[in-house]
Amino acid sequence: MALFNSCSCSSPSRSPLLPFKQSPSNPILFTAPALRPLRRCSVPNRLPPRLTASLAVESPPESGNDRGGKSKELLLEVKDLSAVISESKQPILKGVNLAIYEGEVHVVMGKNGSGKSTFAKVLVGHPDYEVTGGSVVFRGENVLDMAPVERSLAGIFMSFQSPIEIPGVSNIDFLNMAYNARRKKLGQPELGPLEFYGYISTKLDLVNMKVDFLNRNVNEGFSGGEKKRNEIFQLAVLGAELAILDEIDSGLDVDALRDVAKAVNGLLTPQNSVLMITHYHRLLEFIKPTCVHIMEDGRIVETGKESIAKRIEKEGYKAMPAT
Amino acid sequence: MATSIFTPNYPLKPSSSICVNTSPNPSKFATYIIKPRPRTTRINVLAAIASLSDPFVLQIAETLEDSLSSASPPLPLQKLREASSQSLLSTPWPSRKDEPFRFTDTSFIKLSHIQPIQFPPQSTNFLGVSTDTHLPNLVIVDGFLIDSLSQFPQLPNGAFVGTLSNLNSEAIMNRVSEFMSNFEGDLFWSLNGVGTPDLVLVYVPEGCRVESPLHLRYCSVSGGDSESKNLPISNPRVLVVVEKGGEIDIVEEYVGVEGEKCYWANSVTEVVIGEGGKVSHSYLQSQSMNAAHIKWTSVRQESASTYELVEVSTGGKLSRHNLHVQQVGPDTVTELSTFHLSSSDQTQDLHSKLVLDHPRGVSRQLHKCIVAHSLGQAVFDGNVKVNRYAQQTDAGQLTRSLLLEPRATVNVKPNLQIIANDVKCSHGAAISDLEENQLFYFQARGVDLATARRALIFSFGSEVIERLPHSFLRKKVENHIKQLLDPAVKGFK
Repeated sequence: MALFNSCSCSSPSRSPLLPFKQSPSNPILFTAPALRPLRRCSVPNRLPPRLTASLAVESPPESGNDRGGKSKELLLEVKDLSAVISESKQPILKGVNLAIYEGEVHVVMGKNGSGKSTFAKVLVGHPDYEVTGGSVVFRGENVLDMAPVERSLAGIFMSFQSPIEIPGVSNIDFLNMAYNARRKKLGQPELGPLEFYGYISTKLDLVNMKVDFLNRNVNEGFSGGEKKRNEIFQLAVLGAELAILDEIDSGLDVDALRDVAKAVNGLLTPQNSVLMITHYHRLLEFIKPTCVHIMEDGRIVETGKESIAKRIEKEGYKAMPAT
Repeated sequence: MATSIFTPNYPLKPSSSICVNTSPNPSKFATYIIKPRPRTTRINVLAAIASLSDPFVLQIAETLEDSLSSASPPLPLQKLREASSQSLLSTPWPSRKDEPFRFTDTSFIKLSHIQPIQFPPQSTNFLGVSTDTHLPNLVIVDGFLIDSLSQFPQLPNGAFVGTLSNLNSEAIMNRVSEFMSNFEGDLFWSLNGVGTPDLVLVYVPEGCRVESPLHLRYCSVSGGDSESKNLPISNPRVLVVVEKGGEIDIVEEYVGVEGEKCYWANSVTEVVIGEGGKVSHSYLQSQSMNAAHIKWTSVRQESASTYELVEVSTGGKLSRHNLHVQQVGPDTVTELSTFHLSSSDQTQDLHSKLVLDHPRGVSRQLHKCIVAHSLGQAVFDGNVKVNRYAQQTDAGQLTRSLLLEPRATVNVKPNLQIIANDVKCSHGAAISDLEENQLFYFQARGVDLATARRALIFSFGSEVIERLPHSFLRKKVENHIKQLLDPAVKGFK
């Protein structure tokens, strides 16, 4: 990290943008409040994110043409997001910038403690974290003003890295409640337990789970793999425009990984987007990312194609900024 | 692993002087009353006895005794009354200084005007007693078994269900006699022994399996208004004897029939399980929120017998359950699952004691309670005693409490006393509000906070409710608890 900072800040030869950064009229260097849609990150980009942000001013969004040729809507736009741990006020996110368009698969990688999971949790409003700056806009709405329930109903789904056990509440009751909350929001009649069973039992195949899985208490006594499958199962049942998958691949054996990846791919449509957090390249063999972001010390420091992930897998994070 | 936890003792302080008015109708209680005398060394002994004779207790005992019908009772009942009145002479009304009542305030009963219920209520008052039940059932109104409302079960030969006065078999009578007065309960146990109008006996002979569950429905009809201070007391008493290899499924249900009346149900159930026998016991208590409900359950387990209790208590202003399980042979299995809900200004108290004196006993105890009112209280004292010869005992105890309101109170005292050196014992106690991370998990899936809270509160109790052996009971309890908790959940919004 120190290496990276010294590189990007001390080599005058590398960027015409440095003068801009040092401009006294703009003392907050990287907040860039007026920036309009970030540059489509499907374009490979090895530059540090601060440069990305600046570049975005110069290059207005291109109309997407990689999937279906139609112009794509901006789904999620995160600008200079900073957040601290609620209790200790320790800063974790220090200005994250990210833009996700419809139908894209984004991957965030990074060392342990770089802020990846915090980023995911902050997006869904986890009470352990407090947002101290920046903005998050989802389909034109300010996410930071929304309660966690509203975010979920708006279509943001996060699969938990460590799914919570809820003894005494069966999986099917839990999902029925969540599903009915969605239907209520849409003004549709709620489904009774029987109707809901009819709907949900067809989704079990997606994650390769047996029917008795529905009657077990939520995550109680589940193996690591079952918990992860259950998260994807919930995603399949509830649906989401933006699925944030926090280390969905950790603790899975190869078969389970394939099942989970298959399920995620099955859920991908030109309108749905996925933000995956992972440590390993192997997940990307099953789910093809639109672009890969590297996170370090609470910022996205590099954005590019899948090749970045391959390089990280091979060389580790230390080698990263030298390129 | 062997650990011992010793319970502190709070000895009674003899009060310095006691003055009692002689009762207008002298009974044997009056004759024992000792008047204060000048202090000498000899008198100190008498003063100690005098200090233990509580005039208030004697007065209740006397009125109870007066209320009984003059017909001579069956021998075991007579024996019970004598033993009980004897012990009342030296039993004072409990105070907060007594360890078993340290957290349980009984002054509400003491400050009321206690009236014995002399006769079973007139049949016009039975209108409120619902008769919707699928099972053979005995209806016990204000402590009296009412034949006309009951639906007696079809019983195999040698079995008996009914009052002791209706029992014709001398053999069974002798058998019942053996179990009278060989257990020492507390004041309330003895008051019941003095005041019970008759004893309801359930007798299951050797090797007999009673197929359908027997439903005992205790209804309280007489009751005072909450302002009147009148507190009618009923003393139902049931003895269940299951001989070697016998099995029965007992459901006890306590209800107040009409409105939120004031009354005092002072109930005793004794269960004797012979070798290899099995008793499944469901106990539901949903008395009036102004009632006092004091209940004893005393169980004797012979070798290789099984006792399973599932309790759900939600009613009563003061509800106390004294549960005593005594092992009298090896290889017993004991499962106790209890759920208490304190949803208003009320106290729910469980004092359980499990005494293991023989090898290879297995016991599992789970106690859960929710206090959902700022003036609500829950008390749990769970004692497990593993004595010297109870080697290879496997005893587990867990209590979990959920406090949903500021100032809601719970007092838990799990305690193990272990003398044997080759045993497996565990205990745990947890007190909490709802888990934040569980609530967030619901919200992250779009479920609003109030719904999430409701689901989590219900799920907390369902661990016990699910163990009720009959679906109609589970359904009944679930609906009742939903009703009781609704204000608590709504209040949160």
